[in-house]
Amino acid sequence: MLRLIIEKELREIIGAAKFAVTFGVCALLILLTFYVGAQGFKLSLARHQAAEAENKRQLEGLTDWVQVNSHRVFLPPQPLAALVTGVSNDVGRTIAMQGKGELTANDSRYGDDPIFAVFRFLDLTFVFQVVLSLFAILLAYDAINGEREKGTLRLTFANAVPRTTFILGKVVGAFAALVVPLLIPVLLGCLLFSNMGVNLTSGDWARLGIIILTGFLYFGAFLTLAVLMSTVTSKPAHSFLALLIVWILAVLIMPRSSVLLAGRAVEVPTVDELANKKARLRAQLWREDLGSMRGFKGNDSGKPEGLMAEFQSFMQSLSDERTQRMNAFAKQLNEERRNRKIEQERLALTLARFSPATCFSLATANLAGTSIDLKQHYLAEATGYQKTYADFMLEKTGMALDGRHMMFRMQGDEEPEPINPDELPAFAYKPAPLAAGVNAALPDIGLLALFNLIFFAGAFIRFQSFDVR
Amino acid sequence: MQDTNVMLEARSLSKRYEDSVLALNEVSFTVEKGEIFAMLGANGAGKTTTINIFFNFIEPSAGEARVDGIVTHKDPLAAKQRLAFVSENVMLYPNFTAIQNLDFFSRLGGRKDYSRSDYHEVLLRVGLQEEAHDKKLRGFSKGMRQKCGIAVAILKDAPAILLDEPTSGLDPKAGFEFMQLLDTLRNEGKAILMSTHDIFRAKEVADSIGIMREGRLVMQKSGAELAAENLENLYLEYMAGKTVEA
Repeated sequence: MLRLIIEKELREIIGAAKFAVTFGVCALLILLTFYVGAQGFKLSLARHQAAEAENKRQLEGLTDWVQVNSHRVFLPPQPLAALVTGVSNDVGRTIAMQGKGELTANDSRYGDDPIFAVFRFLDLTFVFQVVLSLFAILLAYDAINGEREKGTLRLTFANAVPRTTFILGKVVGAFAALVVPLLIPVLLGCLLFSNMGVNLTSGDWARLGIIILTGFLYFGAFLTLAVLMSTVTSKPAHSFLALLIVWILAVLIMPRSSVLLAGRAVEVPTVDELANKKARLRAQLWREDLGSMRGFKGNDSGKPEGLMAEFQSFMQSLSDERTQRMNAFAKQLNEERRNRKIEQERLALTLARFSPATCFSLATANLAGTSIDLKQHYLAEATGYQKTYADFMLEKTGMALDGRHMMFRMQGDEEPEPINPDELPAFAYKPAPLAAGVNAALPDIGLLALFNLIFFAGAFIRFQSFDVR
Repeated sequence: MQDTNVMLEARSLSKRYEDSVLALNEVSFTVEKGEIFAMLGANGAGKTTTINIFFNFIEPSAGEARVDGIVTHKDPLAAKQRLAFVSENVMLYPNFTAIQNLDFFSRLGGRKDYSRSDYHEVLLRVGLQEEAHDKKLRGFSKGMRQKCGIAVAILKDAPAILLDEPTSGLDPKAGFEFMQLLDTLRNEGKAILMSTHDIFRAKEVADSIGIMREGRLVMQKSGAELAAENLENLYLEYMAGKTVEA
C-alpha cells in the first residue's frame, strides 16, 4: 500500500501544471549555475595565471636577489568555489611576501568588482537555498489539507488505509517526485562542467556529491515542514501564508539578524583599532632605535667593509629586537581579537543554526572549502610559504628579509648576470583536505537531518488526529 | 447473538460535537444483506454523521456502529475493508484519467486483479461514455464524477455500500439508471445504506426507510408498510414535529 501511495503521489505531482513550470525554472537555473560557474572559474584561472606571470615579469631583468622587493603570492581559484561561492569572493587573493611578520590578504573579488558584492553570485547554494526551498513549499503546502479540500482524503480513508502508511507515502512520494527529476539537470550540469574544461579531482567530485546530497536534505527539511504545516492548518491558503512567513524568517531574516545580535552581544575591536595600536608601538620602537643608531660606534679598524659589516650586524640586531617586540605585541592583540571574534562567531552561528538555510550554507561552504575558515587557511598556507621564501632569500642574499640594509656593489668589469626568477620557490596552495571539510560539515548535515526528522514527526503525530472529512 | 444476515448495525448511536451540538441521539437500526435502507431528513438531521461514524471519520460519543459485527471505532481498518462509499460530491484526482482513478482506488481497496477492460466495463455500466474514460477528471461535470465515484464503489466489491446523497448532481436519466444499478447490487446481496433527500426514489428502491430529525431516527418503516402511505405527507408530518419513533 505504501508503494501505491508513493506511486500516486509521484504521478499526481509530476502531472500537475505547477510542477512543469517550477521544475522548468529550477532545471534552467541549475544548468545556468553550472554554466556560469564554469565560465567564472575559467576567467578566475586566467586572471590568476596573468597575476602570476606579472609577478614573475617584475623579477625579470633584476641582477641581484637583493633587488627583489615585491614578491606576491595568489590564492588559486578552486573549481568548487564556482558552484559554492561561500566567502571566496570576500577573501583577498593577493599576499605580498615580507619574509617575516604578519601577512595580509588583499584584492578580493568583491573589492575589485563591487557590483558583484551588491548582487552576489548566482551559484548552486543560492539555487538550493532560495529557489528549491520555495519549490518544495509550492508543491507540498497543500499535501494534506489540499486533499481534504478536494475531497479525495475522505474517499481515500473510506478504504482500509493506515494513517501511518498514508503520511509516510505522502512524504516519500513528494520527495521522490521532486528530487528524482531534479537529479537530471544536476547531472547534466556536472557533465557541462567537465565538458567546459573544469577539471575536478576525485576529491572534488566526492565533495560535489555530498554537497548535492546536503542540498536534497535541506530541500527535504522544507518539504516536511510544508507537509507539517498542511496538517496543522485547515486550508491550503493558510498553510501557504504560514510557510511563506517561516521561509522569509528562516532564509532571509534569521541568518542576518543572528549576526547582528551576536555583534551587539559580543564586541570585537576593529582591524583599524588594532592597526592603530600597532602603528603607535612601531613608531615608538623606531624612535628608540634612532637614538641607538645615533650612538653607534664601530671598531676603529679603518676598513670600510669591516665597518659596513659591523653596521649591518648592529642594524640587524635592532631590527630583530624590534620585530620580536612588535610580533609579541601583535600576537597579543590578535589573540585577544581572535578570542572575541570566535566568541562572537560562535554565538552568531548558534543563533543562525535555528534556520535550515544557515545549516545548509555552512555545510556546503565547509565541503567546498569556501567557509569562513578559508582566509585563515590561506594565511596559514602563505605563512608556511613565507618561511621557505625567507630561507631562499637568505641563501641568495646572505641577509634576512625585512631588516634595514645598506648595500654597496663593488663594480667590476663583468656585466652582472640577471637572476633566474624560476629559482624562486613556487607557492603551492593546498585546499583543506576532504576529511576536514566533511568533518566540519557533519554537525550541520546532522542538524538538517534533525530538522527533517522533527518536521516529519510533527506531521506524523498531527495527522493521527487529523479530521479527514 | 449476532444475526449473521445483518451487515450494518447502529446501536444507540450518539454523537455530541465539541461545540456541544448533539448531532446524533440514540440512533439504532440494522441493514441486512440484500437490503437497501434509505435515510431521509433535512440538512443537519444526522444522516452524514451516521455515515461518518460507520467509516470512523468520527468516533461516536456513545453507542456503536457495527459492520459485519465489527465495531467500527475499535477496528476501523477491518470494518472499512467491508465498506464502499459514494459521497454527495465525488471528488477524485483531477490530474488522473477516469481509468487511472479507478485503478488507484481499486488497488487502495485491496483489489489488484482488475484489468483495463474491467474498468471500461464498469464505467460503461454506470453510464460514463467511452470517450471520457481516458480523459482527465479536471474537465468532468459533477454528474460524470459521480458516475466515476459509483464505479469506484462497485469495483471495491464490498459487502456493504454507504451512499451519501448519491443522486445529487445526476440528471433524471442517470438517476433512474443509478436506481436500477442499486437494485442490481441489492440482488447481488449487498447491504446498502443511503442518505437522500429524494423521497420518490427512496420509496421506489428502498426496502426500508427511516426519517431523521435533529439527530433522532423518528420513523422507520418497511417498504411494504409504506406501500399504502403517502411518503411525502408522512415526511412533512415528521419534519413538522410528529414524534412517533420507529
